[in-house]
Amino acid sequence: MAHYHYLLVLAFIAVCALGVSLSFRLRVPRFWQAFILTDAAIMALYLAWDFWAVAHKNWSFDSSQILGAKLLHRIPIEEIAFFIIVPLMTIITYLALTKLLSKTKFVSDHDLF
Amino acid sequence: MIYSDIALDAVLVAVLTDLFLLRTQLLTRGIFWLTYGLILPFQLLTNWWLTSKNIVMYSSSEIIGKRIAGAPIEDLLFGFSMILATLSLWVFITRKLNLGKQQSDRPL
Repeated sequence: MAHYHYLLVLAFIAVCALGVSLSFRLRVPRFWQAFILTDAAIMALYLAWDFWAVAHKNWSFDSSQILGAKLLHRIPIEEIAFFIIVPLMTIITYLALTKLLSKTKFVSDHDLF
Repeated sequence: MIYSDIALDAVLVAVLTDLFLLRTQLLTRGIFWLTYGLILPFQLLTNWWLTSKNIVMYSSSEIIGKRIAGAPIEDLLFGFSMILATLSLWVFITRKLNLGKQQSDRPL
């Protein structure tokens, strides 16, 4: 079961993302294009950093606590999922707060979706 | 301490992107800081899980050594840079694609 340890934290974030987007009725799928563009840029930069950091032993992953599949023999697939689910959760948090605070000074009309 | 250096650079790049490159100016907006403040405790929670179980291990020569919730303090810089970069790109792209309510509802 230890192989799922990294995956577990990603599942936790995914459940939070789903819960928030449904309860705030954010209708997230309508933003798929914008999300792909945003995440493509984030992934290009941060996976490059990750790849470099693993190659130079800045950090490493316990092979007994990850699934084992790796991109280019270096980056665990959990890392790739991380750079999808975390930006998604970030955007969902922003959208939910924007909606929640739409009548306050924190949000102006052109922030609304 | 190369992780420290790169993490600082990442924050710098994200800040410059937000303020000058994409001009999304999120750093000047309360909504950004509220979003960051809400995400931060969750980052600490996931950091704690990943580091206390040694799922991710950091080379002690590449960090300054100060830790918060089990993870190197550099992780906070990494997290901040990614949250700012993500939201800056998001705001820029949704404006370009005209996805905002105000934009699409605006009379010609």
